[in-house]
Amino acid sequence: MSVLEVRDLTIRFGGLTAIDSLDLKVDEWEIVGLMGPNGAGKTTAFNCITGFYKPSRGQVFYRGDDVTKLPPHRKAALGIGRTFQNVGMVKSETVLENLLTAQHTKTGYGALQAVVGSGVVRAREKELVTRAEAILELLGLGEFRDRRLGALSYGTLKLLELGCALATDPDLLLLDEPSSGMGPEESHQLGERLLTLRKELGVTMLLIEHHVPLVAAVCDYVYVLNFGKLLAEGDPDHVRNHPEVVAAYLGGEAPEALAETELPEDQQELAEVTS
Amino acid sequence: MTVTSPPIAAPALDLDAHRRTRRRLGARTAAALPLLAVVLLLPLHSDGFANIAAYAAIFVMVGLSMNVLTGYTGQISLGHQAFVGLGALTTANLINTGTTAADPFLFGIGMVTAAAASGAAALLLGAVALRIRGLYLALVTLVFGSVFADAIFTLPSLNGQDAGVKAYRPTALSSEYRFYLFALAMVVVCYYVDVCVRRTKVGRGLIALRDNELVASAFGVNVLGYKLLGFTLSGAMAGLAGGVFAFWTQQFSDKDFTAAAGFNLALTFVVMVVVGGLANRGGVIIAAVFFALVSPISPMMGAIAQHTGWLNFYNDHKFYISNVIGAVLLLQTVVLNPGGLGQVIRPFARWFAGHPFTLHDPDGGDGVGAMEGSSVRA
Repeated sequence: MSVLEVRDLTIRFGGLTAIDSLDLKVDEWEIVGLMGPNGAGKTTAFNCITGFYKPSRGQVFYRGDDVTKLPPHRKAALGIGRTFQNVGMVKSETVLENLLTAQHTKTGYGALQAVVGSGVVRAREKELVTRAEAILELLGLGEFRDRRLGALSYGTLKLLELGCALATDPDLLLLDEPSSGMGPEESHQLGERLLTLRKELGVTMLLIEHHVPLVAAVCDYVYVLNFGKLLAEGDPDHVRNHPEVVAAYLGGEAPEALAETELPEDQQELAEVTS
Repeated sequence: MTVTSPPIAAPALDLDAHRRTRRRLGARTAAALPLLAVVLLLPLHSDGFANIAAYAAIFVMVGLSMNVLTGYTGQISLGHQAFVGLGALTTANLINTGTTAADPFLFGIGMVTAAAASGAAALLLGAVALRIRGLYLALVTLVFGSVFADAIFTLPSLNGQDAGVKAYRPTALSSEYRFYLFALAMVVVCYYVDVCVRRTKVGRGLIALRDNELVASAFGVNVLGYKLLGFTLSGAMAGLAGGVFAFWTQQFSDKDFTAAAGFNLALTFVVMVVVGGLANRGGVIIAAVFFALVSPISPMMGAIAQHTGWLNFYNDHKFYISNVIGAVLLLQTVVLNPGGLGQVIRPFARWFAGHPFTLHDPDGGDGVGAMEGSSVRA
């Protein structure tokens, strides 16, 4: 049984079909890449999978269960973790507090117990801090424990965001451009980190990534989207040399079917629809 | 790249911090004592002092209530007087002392019911407020507050046929100072809840949704549920404050909460939480006490006016003076000092929490973030 299976996923914003009949499968222990030029609908696909958008048609299955209609927080509780394209963390909090916040569904006490100050809470909070510190150590970010986010560099923030996603204790992790803001050396390190995380924590991953060497190094399978449609799929080497993929990225001999109107940036859609 | 440690490792004990904390314990106690003396002994001076101190305690409870709603949850309420009023109305009508002192048991039940009733009303407002934010939320709460108060509080069957519902204190609390101690105990209850909220997943969830609802839900926070929780908790605290207020004035009168008087209160509540510093308990408490002391019913302002020879002027304008002071403080907070009073007292608060004393705090405080992140910006 696949960890994640997307069937015939379609979403329209007004007259615009942002994703058209996308089929996608992520199996246990796999790291799957999702590629495509800007505006291809990659982040929109993430938003549909994690419940931020309601797809117009199609289903999302998580370990065989139809989770299409579940709200984001329920999916997070099920074990679908995600990161955002532009650093999704609580910016007024410290690093440690962010990692504690990310463990929201794993606290082991209820909101009512928290409000009345039940004794269980104190003990559980200690465990949460321990776990947060362990994650910081794992990522080599221990020195930033009590810093506020404003003072940190973008690369550090991206890594911390990965830490927050790990703190939600995911079984399936969706990473939106994890290597953005990182140099070649750092993104190489990130690749090794992702492989290690899979080995040690058994996390299955789906990642949006533009950095081809990283994709080639970590992904078992790659899907390429263009204008909301699946352009190609296969192992990284196959996709890399696929003529249509090359055309889509470099703007070479684009097949006529693809020469339609440009889609808006994913982030703008996200901002508009959710604001 | 070395990732060798498993995700769950033994924590390194921060012995240094522990020692630091212990070393300053004496100094911190010494600093806390005068404060405690002022809080407990100054109201012993006279019934007038105790009376206004109890009023300040009620304001502090409302301040903490606003702190949960605006500071943590990032939602604004311009109708908070309705929750305070509903608490007062509920207790007074439930106990309805007539001309005798309240039965202590009923009195206790009345306080709990006041909190429950206002919590429920706030849940209702929260349900409406879920889909709107910023300026629209401000407008909806404004309308909710004034309509709720004007429509329900003025019902003759609930306001003692316009004469007010009597709420005489239980005999054990009949002296001003004892009643003040009771109000102080209720402040401690609200403070305790505030601390519990801030230190647990509830506060973290609220702050996460205040800063970014998408991120909060990706972390597994039920954004709609937690917003409602924020409203309900805040309403319950305000209701408890209202219950105390009914026995402070020893009656429920709709005139305290409707029309201009009610709006005046609502405005003061919002101003005091911003001037105090959003999401900053200490700052909000100081601001709440301050606004209670400069409020029209405070004898302090009258006494100052008399000594300085401005008594006639003061009597003519006393209903606006606290508003003018509030407006000036609000402006200076927004323009010069976005963290509010909380930011100003932060070096002391940090020292009190066991950190070394320093005026320079590179990481800033909660308040600044709250101002940036919250929808209070409208």
